[in-house]
Amino acid sequence: MRDRGSLSVEVMVVLGLVALIVWSTSSFAQQTPGSRPNPPRDINPPVTSCNVTADTIADKSGNLIPNPIKETPLTLGQPCQQVVNGRGLVKDNILANRQRGFDFYSWLTFIALNSPADGKTIGQGPRPGGDALTKWEDLTNYRPLADVMLPKGSKPTWGTRIVPPQCRRLDGPNKIVFKLGEEAFNQPFKSGPLIDQDGNYALFDILMNRPMFDFILKNGLYNKPGQEKFNGKIEFPSGNNPGDDPNAEPGRMGAIMVKVSWRILDPDKDKGLLHQFHTADALIYFPGPPATKTGPLCVEKKLGLIGFHVAHKTKFAPQWVWTSFEHVSNVPDQADVDSGELLPRYNFYNPACKGCAVNQTPPTPWDPDASLKFHSGYRSQVTRVHMLPEPVIDEVKKLNDQFRAFLKDTVWENYILLTTQWPSDFASKTDPTGAPAPTYLANTTLETYSQGRTPLASSSCMACHNNATTQHVPATSSDFTFILEKAH
Amino acid sequence: MTNFTRRNMLTGAVGATAAVATAVNFTTPVSADEADDDLASFVKMSSALTGIDEARLAPAVDPIQIKREYLAAAKADQSFDRLMEVFQANQSQPPAMIADMILNQSGPDICYLGRSIILAWYLGAWYDPDNLKEHNSPNPPPRPVTPDKIISPAAYTQGWAWRVAQAHPMGYSELRFGYWSKEPPSLNDFTK
Repeated sequence: MRDRGSLSVEVMVVLGLVALIVWSTSSFAQQTPGSRPNPPRDINPPVTSCNVTADTIADKSGNLIPNPIKETPLTLGQPCQQVVNGRGLVKDNILANRQRGFDFYSWLTFIALNSPADGKTIGQGPRPGGDALTKWEDLTNYRPLADVMLPKGSKPTWGTRIVPPQCRRLDGPNKIVFKLGEEAFNQPFKSGPLIDQDGNYALFDILMNRPMFDFILKNGLYNKPGQEKFNGKIEFPSGNNPGDDPNAEPGRMGAIMVKVSWRILDPDKDKGLLHQFHTADALIYFPGPPATKTGPLCVEKKLGLIGFHVAHKTKFAPQWVWTSFEHVSNVPDQADVDSGELLPRYNFYNPACKGCAVNQTPPTPWDPDASLKFHSGYRSQVTRVHMLPEPVIDEVKKLNDQFRAFLKDTVWENYILLTTQWPSDFASKTDPTGAPAPTYLANTTLETYSQGRTPLASSSCMACHNNATTQHVPATSSDFTFILEKAH
Repeated sequence: MTNFTRRNMLTGAVGATAAVATAVNFTTPVSADEADDDLASFVKMSSALTGIDEARLAPAVDPIQIKREYLAAAKADQSFDRLMEVFQANQSQPPAMIADMILNQSGPDICYLGRSIILAWYLGAWYDPDNLKEHNSPNPPPRPVTPDKIISPAAYTQGWAWRVAQAHPMGYSELRFGYWSKEPPSLNDFTK
């Protein structure tokens, strides 16, 4: 029998050897020549599925003709960059041909982002009208702004779902969590809320893709101290298509922001309307003052998508490319009102309200309680102001007709592209907005009260976002995004 | 009719009406039709009169199309066709000679319409040629020369006077936040 002392020595020797081996293994992994440490994550990684479909193709004679609107190649993936050409369907008109190329890009983007998150083709989801949780609603692809700019400037994490305690009892599969702040019910520059014909507030949300998130994370821009510390130039990564040469640069998606608008749908009262909308079952979180009048509390609402913006920074568009879609029954054009050619119902216009003033901000206060009902009987009476050049209106209408036919019998046939704003002179030395084309663009649900053609006063995606800054002192340009202003 | 004053422009008070009033200028796509022959000649002539390159006055990719607004204003003058005839007859000449023919050698109606076109490009405002003629007479009116109108909201932002001065119109700038603390882009960047 061994004595206790010798056993202790042996145990110590064994433990010491184990510790040495563990340490050696660890050191080996870190320091052996030829073995490299993990490289830092590429914030704009290569993408193998860039959809590079152009709006035109050459026929046998070499003439450009419209690319057919059919499942392939429209559903092959998301464009990493626009494919546009000065030559096209309109003779000697570079502007018109490029505009059509950008609008085609916008439809491809819409189809890709609104495809089911599980990888199916758009319109083949399990819900009525082929609806489904979309790619941009899937936290593995996009992250809501409220989950990036966290309270107290905390460091955000990609992919995690943050469910406030007040929402947990309501939580379930495929429910989205929507955290309210003032910008969720009040339009840009606090210009006012939008009230639907049922008296509900319209709601707005902003999300970003991973390259954008990773740029913010990498540079510590998710809080005010981080922005103050950052002394570089804010330049979010750009998307680009892969080159034709096998050794060329691979495709990359670049930074993308999505801004959406929703209307509240009553599952019973609006049962007949549900198939016309992409819907989401949302847990709407009221954090309480100062962000919301009431709270903290959580309510569940069924939401119908009414507006869809995409801003995508791409090669040759450092001012980003700005895409704007709407639900087809949001509002009539002013011309429709003048001619009396109206739909039976709109989300934000009452055909029976003759002589009602249009495009007016609602009476204050603008601070919804948990019902999300407006405080009075006021309903927004909105029309779409004529602001686009006629050729653009005609071109987009034709493109919409074709894409909506492709999407027929799905919820997505109820959405229309307004148009795409793009920089016509992206390298201008005197105009950092890049001479936006078209000059003005407004979505009736997201820029309701700034529609028009008045310089500076009317909505222009690029002109407005050109003014965005960080919270650095003195303020510095934030590369066409206002999201950095939301950091705590 | 909407009155585009600078004050109205700055307050945005004429926005919606302005959109309707200027819609005509956005409606015609560029194509090789007869009207565009007029437009192309008008731009060439304007380049000779203003000293600014055609490609800057009317970029190949031009979402603003201010040239159409100025052409429409000039066409409303009864001397426009004769002005274009003078230009057509001299268009192969150097720009300075074309300008000399229009401003000094073709009679007062052509001269003052030419001046109005120059002022339109530089100031975005339309000055009635007769008004200019009256102010350049031996007994000019005591009041200062004033424009008939600011041609449009877009014209207010597009005046070449601002670019030549490396500046911007009051209440409107495309430059980024904080630009006022930095040197402006060079004159060549604005004009060449």
